[in-house]
Amino acid sequence: MKLREHEAKKVLQDAGIAIPAGFLINAPEELPAHLPALGDRIVLKAQVDVGGRGKAGGILMADPATAVATAREMFSKEIKGLPVRQVLAEQRLDVKHEYYLSITVDRSSRQPLVLFADAGGVDIETTAREHPEAIRKDIINPLLRDIPPFMLRDLIGSAPKEIGPVINRLYHAFCDRDAILAEINPLVTTPQGVYAADAKFIVDDNALGRQGVTVNRDLSEREREAEKRGFSYVELGGNIGVIGNGAGLTMATLDLIEFYGGRAANFLDVGGGAESERVMHAVRLVAGVPPVKVIVVNLLGGITKCDEVARGIISAGISQKVIVRLAGTNEAAGRQLLAEKGYEMLDTMDLVVKKAVEVAAT
Amino acid sequence: MIYGDKKTGVLVQGATGRQGEFHIGLMNAYARQVGGRGVVAGVTPGKGGQQVHGVPVYNTVKESMREHDTGAAVIFVPAGAAADSIMEDANAGIPTIVCITEHIPVHDTMKAVAYARAQGSSVIGPNCPGILSPGEVKMGIMPAQLFSCGNVGVISRSGTLTYEVVDELTRAGIGQSTVVGIGGDPVIGQTFVDVLERFRHDPQTKAVVLIGEVGGNLEEEGAQSTDLPIVAYIAGKSAPPDKRMGHAGAIVEGGEGDARSKITRLRKLGVPVASRPSEIPEMVLGLFRSC
Repeated sequence: MKLREHEAKKVLQDAGIAIPAGFLINAPEELPAHLPALGDRIVLKAQVDVGGRGKAGGILMADPATAVATAREMFSKEIKGLPVRQVLAEQRLDVKHEYYLSITVDRSSRQPLVLFADAGGVDIETTAREHPEAIRKDIINPLLRDIPPFMLRDLIGSAPKEIGPVINRLYHAFCDRDAILAEINPLVTTPQGVYAADAKFIVDDNALGRQGVTVNRDLSEREREAEKRGFSYVELGGNIGVIGNGAGLTMATLDLIEFYGGRAANFLDVGGGAESERVMHAVRLVAGVPPVKVIVVNLLGGITKCDEVARGIISAGISQKVIVRLAGTNEAAGRQLLAEKGYEMLDTMDLVVKKAVEVAAT
Repeated sequence: MIYGDKKTGVLVQGATGRQGEFHIGLMNAYARQVGGRGVVAGVTPGKGGQQVHGVPVYNTVKESMREHDTGAAVIFVPAGAAADSIMEDANAGIPTIVCITEHIPVHDTMKAVAYARAQGSSVIGPNCPGILSPGEVKMGIMPAQLFSCGNVGVISRSGTLTYEVVDELTRAGIGQSTVVGIGGDPVIGQTFVDVLERFRHDPQTKAVVLIGEVGGNLEEEGAQSTDLPIVAYIAGKSAPPDKRMGHAGAIVEGGEGDARSKITRLRKLGVPVASRPSEIPEMVLGLFRSC
């Protein structure tokens, strides 16, 4: 789950990294009380869950005289379709130089990867394309509590030495807070020291519980409801509902829909050993997505009981057509149950998908 | 076969749990069918002295190792304790550790995999269906009735999609040497590169089917690392960016790891890529015809 900027900055501050003086406000009227602590140059940053907010007008400069009016302007607008409910009012820093610093999980080495670049303030993909020589990187053995000093020297190169401890503190925050991305861009040097001017932090969804997060904000309401039932669910916008077991098989079903010229409404993985009640909830959930005209059920596995699945589909009692491909135990019984109620059951995933695309097109 | 055979004694961690018990039964049914040793011991802390399907249960892996010659471990313990189980197996010197458990925090996995490596153990998974070498050994949860003996290796990040492809191969008369589910998490122990290296040294394996999905670039790294003939399939062409498609590792991030660019890179490496799972058997037969 992505943290908002003010949350990410709090994490950095707790880890001992300096952040600009700043206050989170819920309305323009809250700002005057904080003005004395913000100095002469102020920046207002909308706390919305979208990328590229700067270009969309979500970051505005102000001074003490104009700050409240600017805040009012910001609260009244939408950033990429999202209303602004919170604004971070910050002191603007006296920047000498901007750097880039991040730590991610590197799949190839299976270890944390630190990236440091002399060029900050621009995204790292651009730097990688235009100035690859400006990027320095190292892989950290996750069994180490601290990044060894030689590695810090290697990472910062000719940049000021004070940055070394900041990298190590970010590594601590990365580990302690179960991050899959911890990014400071830009990391700035000022006459007062090194500051994190912006911060991005993504927490591992598999560690939200132990990090005290109860609601994953990155999920839509329907996705959250699906998660509660133990389904993986993603909305896609087409009119063919999809229910599969296993992420790979369900993705392959979506791809097959595209191959035959249809558009999938969703991805729904019911998980292993689906019983009738789980299947019923899955069918109802997908049927409740407005444009869904037909639902493909593609379940394969040794332990899935076809008669259970058939009962789940039947008891869901939805109005849309359901086309089923099932392989597993009690296949004949499942087939008979579905046939009695007039459902269609086909032998391969190619056949069910082809049929569903035809139905969706009529 | 790779990673294990009939002679491999298997230890199951989380033996007394619902999943552990169920799959000990299935693994040993397969062992009886092929004349292998199968699961010889189980471990659940606090449940030492019990039996599961006639298999003795111990409190610790070390205790179990004093009584049984063990070549592999299969882990069914819940996500919060699974990384600890990986390290316990590695510490006891078990060479192959299969971790079925899903939803392990990635930091725990990174530590456990690094520790296992330092101990000289190979970790398969986490979040995987395990390994099946037809006619030899089943270490995990794959439905054995779909498999058949032969000389095509299969490596996959998925579970049920693997069964789908194995089923298609078997129906087309193409048997498998070993099928390895490497797991759907972003950090996994054995990657395509490692398993392909094992297949290269396996006299039984003549060609490999590589089943990948969106996220990362482990498929391309694997294809580049070997001269074995490969057919690939990549799931998730229709996956939107920044959305996790069921697997923790199946996500297109920062414009990277999408299916189309993966497929393009694989084709550039000379790897034929199937656009549907049902095309795979014919393409595998094509490999044999051309060599």
